[in-house]
Amino acid sequence: MIWLTWRQHRKQVLYTAIGLVALGAVMLPTGLSMHHVFNDSGLAACLSKLGTSQVISGNADTCDDQFGQFSRQFSSMGFLAILFLLLPMLVGVFFGAPLVAREVEQGTHRFVWTQTVSRRRWAVAKFGLIAAVTLVFSTIYSLAMDWWSGPLMANSGRMGPLIFDFEGIAPIGYTLFAVALGIFAGTLWKKVLPAMVATLVGFIVVRVLIETLARPRYMSPLTASLPVDSSNQFNGDSGAWIYGNGVVNGAGKLVLPNSSIGCGSNGNIAVSGAVPDNVDPCGGLVSQGLGPGPFFNSTRYQPAGRFWEFQGIETGIFLALAAILIYFAIRRLSRIG
Amino acid sequence: MNDVGTVLTDTAIETDGLGKRYKRTWALQDCALHLPAGRIAALVGPNGAGKTTLLHMAVGLLRPDAGSVRIFGKDPYSNAEVLAEIGFVAQETPLYRDFTAQELVTLGGKLNRTWDAALARERLSGLGIAPNLPVGKLSGGQRAQVALALALAKRPRLLLLDEPIAALDPLARHEFMQTLMGAVAETGTTVLLSSHMLADLERACDYLILLQTAHVQLSGSVEDLLETHRTLVGPRTDSEQVPGVAEVIRGSHTDRQSTLLVRTNGPITDPAWIEHEVTLEDLVLAYLAKADTRATRTAWDVKA
Repeated sequence: MIWLTWRQHRKQVLYTAIGLVALGAVMLPTGLSMHHVFNDSGLAACLSKLGTSQVISGNADTCDDQFGQFSRQFSSMGFLAILFLLLPMLVGVFFGAPLVAREVEQGTHRFVWTQTVSRRRWAVAKFGLIAAVTLVFSTIYSLAMDWWSGPLMANSGRMGPLIFDFEGIAPIGYTLFAVALGIFAGTLWKKVLPAMVATLVGFIVVRVLIETLARPRYMSPLTASLPVDSSNQFNGDSGAWIYGNGVVNGAGKLVLPNSSIGCGSNGNIAVSGAVPDNVDPCGGLVSQGLGPGPFFNSTRYQPAGRFWEFQGIETGIFLALAAILIYFAIRRLSRIG
Repeated sequence: MNDVGTVLTDTAIETDGLGKRYKRTWALQDCALHLPAGRIAALVGPNGAGKTTLLHMAVGLLRPDAGSVRIFGKDPYSNAEVLAEIGFVAQETPLYRDFTAQELVTLGGKLNRTWDAALARERLSGLGIAPNLPVGKLSGGQRAQVALALALAKRPRLLLLDEPIAALDPLARHEFMQTLMGAVAETGTTVLLSSHMLADLERACDYLILLQTAHVQLSGSVEDLLETHRTLVGPRTDSEQVPGVAEVIRGSHTDRQSTLLVRTNGPITDPAWIEHEVTLEDLVLAYLAKADTRATRTAWDVKA
């Protein structure tokens, strides 16, 4: 079975290896240049001075200038990153979907399943070997992405959507899921092209649903509340995943969503977000019926420290989905004649 | 002791009430068959009669929805033990088209317990098949020969072939049947071969199974069948009652004369009828026409 699997898929493995090398040829120069600028512009030094504590002094340097420079220079990298996100799906489309579908489409399942090998053994050997190869490729991919995206994630952190998706072990889960989805689709449609399309659509739908609906609920977010006249501020560069912020009154009611107010002791007033024009941000909040005081800037967030817990849950979900799909794929095999 | 063993393995294929359903239509129903070992059997019937379904259940690719099928007494469904004893050539002789014949022989060795690679190589070289060309680039006849050589290399006790010569030109067809008959004569393998080519079958087969509209219409050794069927030509008659005739399979009438293909149960003594022997082709066509008329009548709700 190992000989057969290698003989049947050696071209695909070769193309994938070539693809990875080509990917490396794109990642290496762009990654090096990002790391270079990240260090030389002083952004790295500034960030390490800023630290990762959640609340920092109000007049701390939040590295805005350096970030501006960095993101202007590498604005196209976000686009590249999204392309990289689609790679696991391609593995599912080109490795997973044809695995059963091509055999049935060309009738060769009737040849191979009538040698002295039960189809269950055939399935276990083929699925197992493909999963092993996928595991190797996706581990290389995920390690490379970790390094490449390092400077990009310095601003938004590793927790945020999209960046989280190619950090840590999650890409391994996505890739194995994509392959399992492709195999299952192949047992359902039994033709290569429809199985590929179904894999593509299915992968995107599941990923988007989990990312938007499930992931924000893995753990309940923390809330940081700072009085509006505090001399400290929330550290947006700590790597936390910020759900939202707003001004909360003394009764705990959110009175100004998506905004923050800074009323410094030196009389400086800083306003951000959707504070209406008719609101006097520091003096007149109570008189305008937003009371009672005191008022707080409140931020809901997932701290950066939860990164591995989130990675574990996310990867676990996709591995479980992959296992379920493989189980049903093997069950469906027994009905193909 | 030996006699008991022989008796037990005397039957190559045995089915009992065997049926397979796709959605709500039965592809094969109530199939009771008994193919003795050592026979070369023809499986005949129009397209969609259930031939492929029967073969797929016999080789364990499909699980029956009703009844049972036994190969040398064992259930073949996904059973490696039975698979080791069956050589199967599926319809359109599917092979990995990018593999060379040489690689397919190697592959067979890896996937089978008994494998006579030398035999396969010898056959293929004897047929002049290029060892290092992807089989997708071979002619249809050569590809069929490769598939046959691979099936034979398992040294099977039972060889199942699903329309292996359907797509071949007459010469390739002839060569294929020749290879098959030669190999089977050497080994004593039981063969079940489905085909439309009645003339080819008549020369090669000594057993006939006739399937139509999901049912077995006729089965038995060719010798017995030809022995018990006759074509009678005689005066115009509508009664169809002739002494020695068990059943009229098919009758055609002109104004003055009737031609009947009949199954006999005794000598035809009435001098008004002239007896002719039947060919396998006559027999098959008569039975197919009979079942066909019956099916059409039922479908149109017309009384026979």
